[in-house]
Amino acid sequence: MSILTEMLSRDFLLRDALVGSILVGLVCPLVGVYFVLRRMIFLGVALPQLSAAGVAFAFMLKSITGVHQHGESGERILAMAGSLGFALVGLVVLAALERHGRETLEARIGIAYALAAATSILFVATDPYGEAEMTRLLKGDIVTTTATNLRLLMAVLGSVAIALVALRKELLLVSFDRDMAVVLGKRAALWDTVLYLLIGVTISFGVMTAGPLVTFGFLVAPPLTARLVTRHMLSFSAVAAGLGACIAFVGFYVAYRFDLPLGPTDVALSIVVLVIVGVLREAVRSVRARRLRR
Amino acid sequence: MTDPLLRVDDVSLGYDGRPVLEHISFVVVRGEFAALLGPNGAGKTTLFRGILGLIPPLAGRIDYGFNRRETPPGYVPQKESLDPIFPLTAYEVVLMGAAARVPPLWPIGRERRRLAAECLARVGLSDAAEEPFWTLSGGQKQRVLIARALAVEPQLLLLDEPTAGVDPGAEAAIVDVITRLNRDRGLTVLIVSHHLRLVREVVGSVIWVEDGSATKGTTAEMLSTERLADVFGAAARSL
Repeated sequence: MSILTEMLSRDFLLRDALVGSILVGLVCPLVGVYFVLRRMIFLGVALPQLSAAGVAFAFMLKSITGVHQHGESGERILAMAGSLGFALVGLVVLAALERHGRETLEARIGIAYALAAATSILFVATDPYGEAEMTRLLKGDIVTTTATNLRLLMAVLGSVAIALVALRKELLLVSFDRDMAVVLGKRAALWDTVLYLLIGVTISFGVMTAGPLVTFGFLVAPPLTARLVTRHMLSFSAVAAGLGACIAFVGFYVAYRFDLPLGPTDVALSIVVLVIVGVLREAVRSVRARRLRR
Repeated sequence: MTDPLLRVDDVSLGYDGRPVLEHISFVVVRGEFAALLGPNGAGKTTLFRGILGLIPPLAGRIDYGFNRRETPPGYVPQKESLDPIFPLTAYEVVLMGAAARVPPLWPIGRERRRLAAECLARVGLSDAAEEPFWTLSGGQKQRVLIARALAVEPQLLLLDEPTAGVDPGAEAAIVDVITRLNRDRGLTVLIVSHHLRLVREVVGSVIWVEDGSATKGTTAEMLSTERLADVFGAAARSL
């Protein structure tokens, strides 16, 4: 109880990390809802990895050009640009191949993931500092979040959340019935681009803050859990985001209490919640079915 | 009643620049109930998608007797084309049609919500408004999709095999809804169907698609026993 009180106090040492973690837990599922509905969950694995490859590429660029003099903020901007650039280019290429390519979607995503994972390592192979940074990033070391990073994260992810809520009727229509959207005069390609942009921004900031593993976990597990217990679109998004935020908070508590790495704790907790909700749902269903049979 | 609502003028349609249908011309007038018929693979879907604006004509023009931007056509897809993963109630599906003219960033107002509820009532499904769309029967789903198309407040209703895969009772309910919309409200209807008996009973004119071209005539002319026998062989005499 004292740890909980400590976490909730204003002068908690890791307060920025806690708030950043909750923010990622809140916004990633809002984007993840569209991954689940558009049946592109595997893209949720490949894109964070591509984003991480972008960070590695930025480290390599810095190592080659020797740009060390701009300090931590310059380094972070470079990493952010690499992360966002790779995520968006990956999205655009995968979306273009979806329309014109001949291979299956799974094959393309699998290749993208393998390439991203390999290049994440190769880009920093000759730079011990970069390699250490990448290892930290891949583990999801959110505790290093600073006040400046948090403000940026709040502004960006807050804007993404507002955009997703404000544009939900267009994004839903294009996702649910693209033909109908075109018949109604909606520019489906434009709305796809808007959605991809929001996805790309969320993933790159998620990866920069919490790492690719946590980002993927929050993109997929809370929406899948929410899908089991909701029957309205609005409640689906709200429950997914709420679950993500709660898991992020509880995960932080567990990690802090038992001195565990935060990223894997969050992901494991997300999956445990998914399994519990799935089992409970099946139990309720079978009880109802038995009652109906009587 | 001779006011043209849809004019297809020397149109060629196809994919990747290769025409499937060529030099297609016909007119659908306001208040008409027409069906697109033809053997499998003849190009019915291609023509239907061209009329909907989902594929651009390779040549010729498709003109509408209304402003498509202000009054888009009502489109009823086949229920199987929609993914059951979306957690939507029947009302939420209809609301998508009602919100068609609401600009981006604008909320869906009370008036539009009332319209969605009215359209659901018009197809006899008010009681199912809060039911998950995917738990409804095939016939109910199809009626929800008709309600969604009506919520657009269209002048032209386009339906893609609305009675496919539903039981006879549901088929009668769907046909009743469409027939009443055409007869009582004067809504122009164009339906794609394989169901010759249904077309014979309720449709006024037929656009027959075959061998890369299309011919329009009255239902009696186009579905005469001799003509069907020519297309489908002797078995057609029992249709």
